[in-house]
Amino acid sequence: MKGLMKNNFYAVLANAKVFSIFMIILGIFVAAVISQSLLIGYVMTGMVGFSLNAAAVAKNEYVSKWGKYKLTLPVRRADIIKSMYLNHSFWLLIGAAFSGTVTGISWFLHGCPFDIPMDILTMFVLGISISLFMGAIFFPLFYLGGAERNEVFLIISLLCAIGIDLVIVTVVNDLTEPGITSILTGLVVLSASSLLAFVLSYPLTLSIFKRKEY
Amino acid sequence: MENILELHHVSKTFPKSDFKLDDVTFSLPYGTISGFVGENGAGKTTTIGCIMNTIIKDRGTIKLFGREMGDEDTDMREDIGIVYDGDNFPSYWTALQLSQVMEGLYTRWDRSLFQKYLDDFCLPGRQKIKHYSKGMTMKLALAAALSHHPKLLILDEATSGLDPVMRDDMLDLFLGFVQEEDHSILLSSHITSDLEKVADHITFIHNGRIIMTVSKNDLVYRYAVLRCKESQFRALAPSDILAYRKRDFQIDVLVPDGKEAVRKYKDVIADHVSVDEIMLLLVKGERI
Repeated sequence: MKGLMKNNFYAVLANAKVFSIFMIILGIFVAAVISQSLLIGYVMTGMVGFSLNAAAVAKNEYVSKWGKYKLTLPVRRADIIKSMYLNHSFWLLIGAAFSGTVTGISWFLHGCPFDIPMDILTMFVLGISISLFMGAIFFPLFYLGGAERNEVFLIISLLCAIGIDLVIVTVVNDLTEPGITSILTGLVVLSASSLLAFVLSYPLTLSIFKRKEY
Repeated sequence: MENILELHHVSKTFPKSDFKLDDVTFSLPYGTISGFVGENGAGKTTTIGCIMNTIIKDRGTIKLFGREMGDEDTDMREDIGIVYDGDNFPSYWTALQLSQVMEGLYTRWDRSLFQKYLDDFCLPGRQKIKHYSKGMTMKLALAAALSHHPKLLILDEATSGLDPVMRDDMLDLFLGFVQEEDHSILLSSHITSDLEKVADHITFIHNGRIIMTVSKNDLVYRYAVLRCKESQFRALAPSDILAYRKRDFQIDVLVPDGKEAVRKYKDVIADHVSVDEIMLLLVKGERI
């Protein structure tokens, strides 16, 4: 597993370096100015962007024979898939760290950037939820449809993730009275459903991958 | 246990293709190099895919080190090194990054041995693989395949794209590898001259079927091609003919025992046969 994680890390590293530089420059600007919408955009970009990068490079293994070669290594197919999900989670955490740092600096410099601190939590939960739903949809599609359709699967999974989040938020808002309970319910439902989807997606992807031939 | 690798009646069909692997049976004894020869699309890579479980066979058994290898048998894959034709590794890696990844995958990964191969092969460790030539990437793949001390090497067209000097170095390396009695190599190659140099046995595959397995000794000392006229060909006993091919003014006939054939059929000319010629006769020729 250690080798697979290193493999995934190296795969994302080059893109992640570029994206990190972009995020640092953008972060300095976002922290310097007082803009709620900019901060929301930054947090979402950080949370989703890094994990999107991680998913985007999955196809690179199939440009070379490495995807096939990996199956001849002393690892199980389950480990290969597990490492993909762990890698996705790792880069989500990196994104969360960027977003959290810039939000923290902004708060330190200008005070709480939202009406209530709870909104910050909402923003982070939304970002994590989009990233997890995206991963949950992308990985099965990627192994089912093949690496050559990587880009379209990425777009589909990202749009679906955003769509699912919007539906959940709308349904929760419709079913509950406006207020703190409604927000908390929304957060719990978003977190739980995205985490569940991410976890359940693993056996689905594995069952697809176990039948794949290279 | 005499064989490091045994395939019995292995079959695989592909619903979207006419090609199928049909009842493939052959074995690779310990301490030997076995050549695996066939034209493009004959089924060499598919067979190797079945051996390594990258392709899931429909029927038959494949035993490595005396037992069948499933996805869970990671310990067995510790003893196998593989080299595919072309780019085995992501081009954005360096050789040193490859070593770091492999170190986390193989329990017996030998970093110093890998470094020794990099030095011997003049491969820059810090340069990205995408800047390597084809020969360099093949050498790197071979270094990676050898650096975890495997017992079985499976090489799928590993010498193609290499110049003759480089190929010769590789072949020496292969011969050195099988000096250990429990080491073996399955060498799939188009370059039949390589096989003539190093292989102990040669297995011919055509259209997904094994058509012949022959030891190199038999190939050199027994097998022959008879150059016959039409009348001489008609006089041959069908049981002596493995395959024949009509040319403009003669018929080439592959026989399993050249000396015996010369004794039996006085006027025919018997030539020693190369792997290339056997392949051509078996693939393009006709059988009785």
